[in-house]
Amino acid sequence: MRAAGVIAGAIFSVGGAAPAAAQRALVVAPLASLAEHRVDAGFGLERSLGPILGGVATLRSGPRFALAVRALGGRLFGSKGVLDRDVGELGVEASVVTAPWLAFQAGAARRAYATKLGRQTWNMVGLGATARTAFAGDAIHGVWRAALLPVVSVSGLRNPDLAYRTAAGLEYRVRTATLGVEYSLERYDFPAQAGVRRREQLAAVTLRLDVRVR
Amino acid sequence: MRRLAWAVVLAAGVAPALAAQGSTAELLGQAHQLYERLEVERALPLLRQIVSPNWPFEVTRDQRVDAYKYLGACLAVAGKRDSAVLYFRAAIERDPFTDLDPSRFTPAQLETFGEARRRTLAVAIRPVQPARVDPRTARVTFIVVATHAALVDVKLSAIGAGRPLSLFRGTMDGVREIAWDGLLADRRLVPPGRYMLAVVGRSRVTSASDSARVYFDVRHEVEAREDTLPELDGRMLLPERISAEAARRDVAKGLGVAAAALLIAGAATGDLGGGERGGADVVAATAAVSGVVAFLVHRRHGAIPENVAANARHRAERDSANASVRARNADRIAATLLLLSPAAGEGTGP
Repeated sequence: MRAAGVIAGAIFSVGGAAPAAAQRALVVAPLASLAEHRVDAGFGLERSLGPILGGVATLRSGPRFALAVRALGGRLFGSKGVLDRDVGELGVEASVVTAPWLAFQAGAARRAYATKLGRQTWNMVGLGATARTAFAGDAIHGVWRAALLPVVSVSGLRNPDLAYRTAAGLEYRVRTATLGVEYSLERYDFPAQAGVRRREQLAAVTLRLDVRVR
Repeated sequence: MRRLAWAVVLAAGVAPALAAQGSTAELLGQAHQLYERLEVERALPLLRQIVSPNWPFEVTRDQRVDAYKYLGACLAVAGKRDSAVLYFRAAIERDPFTDLDPSRFTPAQLETFGEARRRTLAVAIRPVQPARVDPRTARVTFIVVATHAALVDVKLSAIGAGRPLSLFRGTMDGVREIAWDGLLADRRLVPPGRYMLAVVGRSRVTSASDSARVYFDVRHEVEAREDTLPELDGRMLLPERISAEAARRDVAKGLGVAAAALLIAGAATGDLGGGERGGADVVAATAAVSGVVAFLVHRRHGAIPENVAANARHRAERDSANASVRARNADRIAATLLLLSPAAGEGTGP
């Protein structure tokens, strides 16, 4: 329920920000992920696993530019001795295609983890690239993504020294729809505090269906 | 100096010819004046000099015909009808279009001239004058003459090709205008080239027959036509089938995605372990299978439907554009003008 609230708040807060005048196409993409969160804060590895649901709305302006807004939310169930946590995320990302196979992205996101003990918010700014290669004619695309997250702030923690996101997957095009399957991983290495180095990663396998609605 | 020398040479060459024509014209003018003053006895020797083989100066065809005509007229006035008929016939034979102006010649002369025409069958066609004709709205006019009632056949034919087109077949007496719409026997616009208009006449009074022909060139004046779009070659079309090499690359691409997923799940997450390894395996397996399936499908079928459709669209657009071009060109061809000019004889034409 908290996650739903996070998603609803995110949608409400950015709903009027879309540049409607410039749009040429609107693509919406519901997505479903199975995510695993791992964190080692010096007290042993904590692992939680669960579904995340959400969606991405992409406004394409011409063949090169796109602006995407995403909202995600779900519940990660902790392993033995680990608290369950809700997760919600709201992000925006601009993309420019520089070659038929290459696009660059810049984006920002706000993520929240909530347990029955407290709430932690993450603010992230990322710069990345996506490479695509077509095969099976033009029906399938292989996708590789990589992004550095040079600005990450986490409530209650010092900023990580290293943060990145990477992914690999496939996109299957069927008429105007595109079905994507992707494995992704986010990695955060925090600076040591009192001799303890905190490390986190969020891995997910995601199914996504892009549908052009306008 | 050189220019002056050339001018002298040129003048020396041209002067005798001009003088000769001047002498004939001068004598013919004197004969006309004498005839107008009814001094036919003085006019006759002058006219006989002109038609004499011993006349040293050049005599044009028209001058000779005129001389014969006035000889006939003088002799008719002098009461020498048979001789008058003889000279009139000489004039008619040389130029079947020869006629007497009723306002300038007496009825007796006209009657004698008519007798000459009845005794002489000659057919002729006036030389084609340079003309620019729009066959949609105008006609080419040929003028044909038969000196007396005769069965006349007028035919138009291209030099060296095609069957002749009959423009007129029937009885005529005197001058007749024959209109031609610019089409040949197949009802198509006459193509550029050299043409012959021939007339054959057989007298309905005597058993005599005669023929004549003129040549002319036809050219087309048509607005420049547009070029149609060229055939679509391989560079302009998308590949419609996947090559064997491309099919093999599909396997590599699928394996590349699989390797990337496994690499991300394995090497990058070693210290924390796991990392949804099962999900990475699923994605890797899916990518590898997709690559292999794409390879197998392309080896068996190989068609790229999107490219086939795009090429078909491209071809349809080209065909449509060419149809428009052809329609516009057809309109321009339909507005073709015919340019006619006289020619000297059989030849290749323009």
